[in-house]
Amino acid sequence: MSIQASSISWEINGKKILNDVSLEINHGEVVSIIGPNGAGKSSFLNVLSGDIKPTSGNITFDDVNLKEITIQERSFMRSVMSQSQQIVYDFSVKEIIEMGWLDRGIASYSEDFKHAVVNVAQECSVSDLLDQKFNTLSGGEQRRVHFARTLIQLWRPSASKDPRYMFLDEPTANLDILHEQNLMRLLKEKAREGIGVLLILHDLNLAAKYSDKLFIFKEGSLIKSGPPEEVLERDILSYVYGLTMRVERDPLRVNYY
Amino acid sequence: MHVKPLVKNLLRFTNSSQIYLLGALLIAFLFAFLASISLGSFNFSVFELFNSSKTSLHTTVLYEIRIPRVILAAFVGASLGLSGASLQGLFRNPLADPGLIGVSAGAALGASIIIVLGSSLFPGFIFGAFILPIAAICGAALVISLLYVFTRGFGYQGITYMLLVGIAVNAFASVGIGILTYISTDSELRGLTFWTMGSFGGASWYLILPAIVVISLSMFWMIPSSRKLDLLQLGEPEAYRLGVDVKKLKYKVIISSAITVGVSVSLSGMIGFVGLVVPHLVRLLGGVNHSYLLPGSALLGAGLMMSADLLSRILVQPAELPVGLITSAIGAPFFLWLIFRIRKI
Repeated sequence: MSIQASSISWEINGKKILNDVSLEINHGEVVSIIGPNGAGKSSFLNVLSGDIKPTSGNITFDDVNLKEITIQERSFMRSVMSQSQQIVYDFSVKEIIEMGWLDRGIASYSEDFKHAVVNVAQECSVSDLLDQKFNTLSGGEQRRVHFARTLIQLWRPSASKDPRYMFLDEPTANLDILHEQNLMRLLKEKAREGIGVLLILHDLNLAAKYSDKLFIFKEGSLIKSGPPEEVLERDILSYVYGLTMRVERDPLRVNYY
Repeated sequence: MHVKPLVKNLLRFTNSSQIYLLGALLIAFLFAFLASISLGSFNFSVFELFNSSKTSLHTTVLYEIRIPRVILAAFVGASLGLSGASLQGLFRNPLADPGLIGVSAGAALGASIIIVLGSSLFPGFIFGAFILPIAAICGAALVISLLYVFTRGFGYQGITYMLLVGIAVNAFASVGIGILTYISTDSELRGLTFWTMGSFGGASWYLILPAIVVISLSMFWMIPSSRKLDLLQLGEPEAYRLGVDVKKLKYKVIISSAITVGVSVSLSGMIGFVGLVVPHLVRLLGGVNHSYLLPGSALLGAGLMMSADLLSRILVQPAELPVGLITSAIGAPFFLWLIFRIRKI
C-alpha cells in the first residue's frame, strides 16, 4: 500500500519545474521533502494531490492511477495542508474544522463525528478557540485550526483500514516551538495508525528527527532519497544549498551557523 | 429534484438557533404576503381573502391584479436575495451583487432593445411576450461571459477587475439605454422608464407563471450547493482538495444567477440594492454558513420586496412610486454603513 510517483516532469511556458522525479510514500511512514526555494517542492506536492497535471509521468495511489480517481474519491484518500488564503466571512473556528467533514453516506460516520471534532480540537490544542471567530485568531492559531481540519478530513469512525495520506507544506510555519513539537509528534502518531505522511520542511534538524525517509530536491530534480543519515551528508548539503554545513552523528544534527 | 440533499445539508450544517431564525423569517414572509394582498387601493380583510362572496370587481382586482403582482414581487425578491448571496459566496467578496457587477444592467439593456426595436427586429413576434424575458436573459448571460473573460475564469486575483468590469459594463449599458431612449417613441419611452426604475405593475398570470417555474427550478438547483460554497471560502485549491468540483460550482452559480436575475429584471425592471443588502442582513442576524444564508436570503429578499412594493402602492395613493426608488432609498444608506463597517475592521 503506497503512493508511487514515476518519472514526473512538469513544464510551464517552456520552463522545467519538475524533472523526472520518481519516489514512493508508504503507509505508516513520515517522509519529508527538503531543498532550497524554487526547487519544485510545492509543485511536486500539488502534482501528487492532483491540482496540477504533470507534463509526463504517472502517479498511482495503491496501484490505481490518479487520473482514474474522481475529485471526490481523492478527498477521502488524502488531505492537504498548504499556505492558506484569507477567509472573508466570519466563520467560527468550529465551522472551519468541520469543513473537513466529507459526506460519504455512511451513518456511523456522521454519528460519531461530533465526538471526533472535540478530540481533534484537543489534540491540536484549539479546544478553547472553538467558538471564536476564525478571523480574530493569530497566524499560528489559524495554522493549528487548518491542521485540525486536515486531520478531520482523514478521520474514520473505528479502526478503519482505508488507505489514507496527508500532504503538508511547511505545517510548522508560524508555530511556536511547543506547538511545533506537538504537531510533529502528532504526525508520528498518525503515521503509526497507518497514515502515509508527506511533509515539506525547511528545518533540517526537524526533518532529521521526525522523518523515516528524506527526499532532497534541487532545481526540479530529486538529488537523493533515503533515511536521514544517508541524505544529510556534508557534500550533498553543500551542493544543494550552496552553503558549508557541519553534520554531527548520534544524534544526527546539521549545523549551518 | 434536489430536495433530499437540501434537507440533509440544512439539518447537518445549520445550528438550532439558525433553524428558528429561518422559521421567524418564514413567518415574516407570510405576514408580508398577507399584508401585501390585503392592503392597497382596495382593502381586503384576511377573512375576505378566503371568501369569494364579494362583488366581481373586488374579486377581479384580487385574483387578476393583486395576487399575481405580490407573487411576482416575492419571486423577484427571492431571486435577487439568493443570487446576491451566492455571488458573494462564489466571488468571496461581500460587495458582489447582480447590480454592481453589471448583470442587471445587461439584462435591462437586452430588454430595452426589445422594447424599442423589437417590433422592427421581429415583425412576426413568434414568441410573443416571451421574447422580452429571453432577451433579458441573453443580456445577463453576455455580461457574465464578459466578466468570465476579464477575470480569467472568475479567479480570486481578478476580483478588482470584476468590479471594474462591472462599472464599465454598467456605463456601457446606460449608454445603450440612453441611445434607445433618444430614438424611442413616446409610448416606448414610457416602457423604458418602467424598466430602469422597476415596478411590479405589469404582472399578469400569463407572464409570471413561466417565470415562477424557471426561477423555482434554478433556485432548487442552486440551494443544494450551499455546502460547496462554504468550502470554497477556504480558497479554490482547498475546496478542490475537499472534493468540490470548483469549475462546475462556478458555472452552476453563475448560470442560475443569470437566469433568475434575467427573468426577474425582464418582468420587473432594475431594482437595486436588494441583492447586495439582503445577504448582509441575514449574516448579521445569524451566521455566515450558506446552508442558512441561501434560504434566509431568499425568504428575507421576498419579504422585503413585497413590503417595498406595498409601500410603493400606498405611499402616494392613488398614484404609484417605482419600487426601485424605494429599495435604493433604503439600500444606499445601508451600503454606506457597510463600507464604513468594513473599513473599521
